[in-house]
Amino acid sequence: MFSKLFLDRLPSTWRLAILQAIIVGTSIALCLTLAGSALRGDLEINARSVILDDLREYSLLYKKLGKQGVADLFNAGRHVGIQAIRITSPDGKLVSEHTQEDEEKAFVWPDPLNLRKLAIVVDLVTVEHPKGSPHQLIGRIVLHDNNVLWYGRSDSADLAYLQHIHDYLWMAGVAAAIISLIPILWYANEVMRPVRSMIASARALACGAGESRLVASSAVPELRDFADAFNTALDRNSALASELQAANDHLAHELRTPLARIRGNLENFHDEVKNVDASDAAARGLDEIDRATHLIQTILNIRAGEHNALRLHREKTSLRELLGGIADIYATSAEDRGLLLRMEASDDVEISIDQQLVTQAVANLLDNALAYTPSGGRIILRLEVEKEQATIRVLDTGPGLKPDELELVWQRFIRGSLASARTPGMGLGLSLVRSIATAHGGASGCCNREGGGAEFWFTLTHAGESPA
Amino acid sequence: MTLLLAEDDPELARQILAWLGKAGHDVTWHEDGAKAESAALEKAFDAIILDVNMPNRNGFQIVETLRAASDLVPVLFLTARDSVTDRVRGLSSGGDDYLTKPFAMEELLARLEALNRRYQQSGTGRRRIGEWTLDTRQRRLKNATDGIDLQPRECALLELLLDHEGHTLTKKFLLDKVWNIRFDPGTNVVDAMICRLRRKIDAPGQASCIQTVRGKGYVLKAVS
Repeated sequence: MFSKLFLDRLPSTWRLAILQAIIVGTSIALCLTLAGSALRGDLEINARSVILDDLREYSLLYKKLGKQGVADLFNAGRHVGIQAIRITSPDGKLVSEHTQEDEEKAFVWPDPLNLRKLAIVVDLVTVEHPKGSPHQLIGRIVLHDNNVLWYGRSDSADLAYLQHIHDYLWMAGVAAAIISLIPILWYANEVMRPVRSMIASARALACGAGESRLVASSAVPELRDFADAFNTALDRNSALASELQAANDHLAHELRTPLARIRGNLENFHDEVKNVDASDAAARGLDEIDRATHLIQTILNIRAGEHNALRLHREKTSLRELLGGIADIYATSAEDRGLLLRMEASDDVEISIDQQLVTQAVANLLDNALAYTPSGGRIILRLEVEKEQATIRVLDTGPGLKPDELELVWQRFIRGSLASARTPGMGLGLSLVRSIATAHGGASGCCNREGGGAEFWFTLTHAGESPA
Repeated sequence: MTLLLAEDDPELARQILAWLGKAGHDVTWHEDGAKAESAALEKAFDAIILDVNMPNRNGFQIVETLRAASDLVPVLFLTARDSVTDRVRGLSSGGDDYLTKPFAMEELLARLEALNRRYQQSGTGRRRIGEWTLDTRQRRLKNATDGIDLQPRECALLELLLDHEGHTLTKKFLLDKVWNIRFDPGTNVVDAMICRLRRKIDAPGQASCIQTVRGKGYVLKAVS
């Protein structure tokens, strides 16, 4: 519900702090409003009873000592707030009036005509003023000689008192908010630290660091449970990966050793035999052994890559240099086929990769581009460096792919419908590209270019590594 | 060359011994790691061929012992396991080399020669091919009347063929040494470059001095 309130990238700790501040702020405002209106009501009731009492006392004094007695008592008193009394004749003419000496505190009597509406013996009226300025309470009593005694009092003192309370309450509220934020921020940080460490671990895992594990702080039991469960899954995964590595290793060894013996004998036969046909047959046999070895190695690499078990011999490599080298390797072959091979790399990045495997992945994409692009076409090898990954693209001006082949071609032993029996390859090249990209924490894909031709790409992650 | 072979597969060892012997090299063979190690420490060899997986002492341990004894003899590892190949790739970056089984005997020989040549620090910078003289510093072929400029890789390829004159070099070996790649790309980059070189240096109407050996590779012949 509140998630739309925040910017997309705002960290959770800040979100929590903002929510907390809103809650505390609202609570304080509510307390102040309620307490303020309750206090103001109480103060008014109090003021009313004081005025009515005073009116009766002044009336008694008037009866005994006349208007001088009333004046003496008023002047003798220490008045809180702005107060004033006046005596008028029954027809409304002013008989006497007393206000505080301080001019600034002078009481301003409202229009007397309105006050005359008060007909009963003792009464009190509140004259309200605009919001925020003091109200006036005006009471009157009919004296024994039918003169009328008026007593006015403004509630400016009450307002000042209320303002005072208001200020202190705000200060207390802000202090409480700050104090309450400290444990909230601490706890949010305790929760977020393991989450951040988990994000870092997950990124490291994506980059192929299979040994890293999630670390959760003990302050958050749920996260600890989550990390435990996740780590168990990772352990199982690494166990499977090392099992697969061992199995691949064993398989490679068991196949390569006999192949080596056969190859040695065949090579010897090829060298020694004088019959040209026999020598040719031996040469074909040698070719086939090399082809089979290459096939075995490629399949094992694909299998290992798919299960995150491909062993990488990582070295810090400048991608622009690496791609430049590969483009150079293919320049002659492209020229011979009447193709223009161009490399585009506006940025460079130094990143830890297995040079041989990445070279092989790029070479596989270029092999395809060279095989499928007709003479006169253009092939672009492009490097794009982004914040967390580098994308390597091979664009050609060949026939492109059918829409239903875009994902299918990445599967093992699947070749595009335009491949002929003479097109080189076994349909393993793209699967190997995908495996190599996956092993480097990247992805791979392809699409048709606008205006014809295909575009194949794969990414390599370089989270935490600096651009060159 | 005086060579030491440490290989526990008797059949493969027999083949290697026969082949290298025929090529005129003196090879001592041990199928036990510990024995190979003491042999390497006792006698100075030009190069050592070391199978990584061996009984008693494995290839890595033997190299460690040799290096600890300040013996910088060139070592060529033989491996059949991926896990080992990975470690060897790390080790061999220092200058030694490795081969993954199965391999061509020519390639084994070419690599040994390359290791040994580097070990002895030879190289004059000027070589002769027929009427041509190759100047590797200027990357230029010259004869009495003419001169041909070579691309860096063309020059590297020609130099490598010259280094191993008369010996067949496999495509794999050429790809590794000239193009620095350890796999066979689908596009024939070696063939394309060899064709270019032939067009540049061969006299019209005569057999090429770079010959293709079917099922094996290429060889440079007819050097005066």
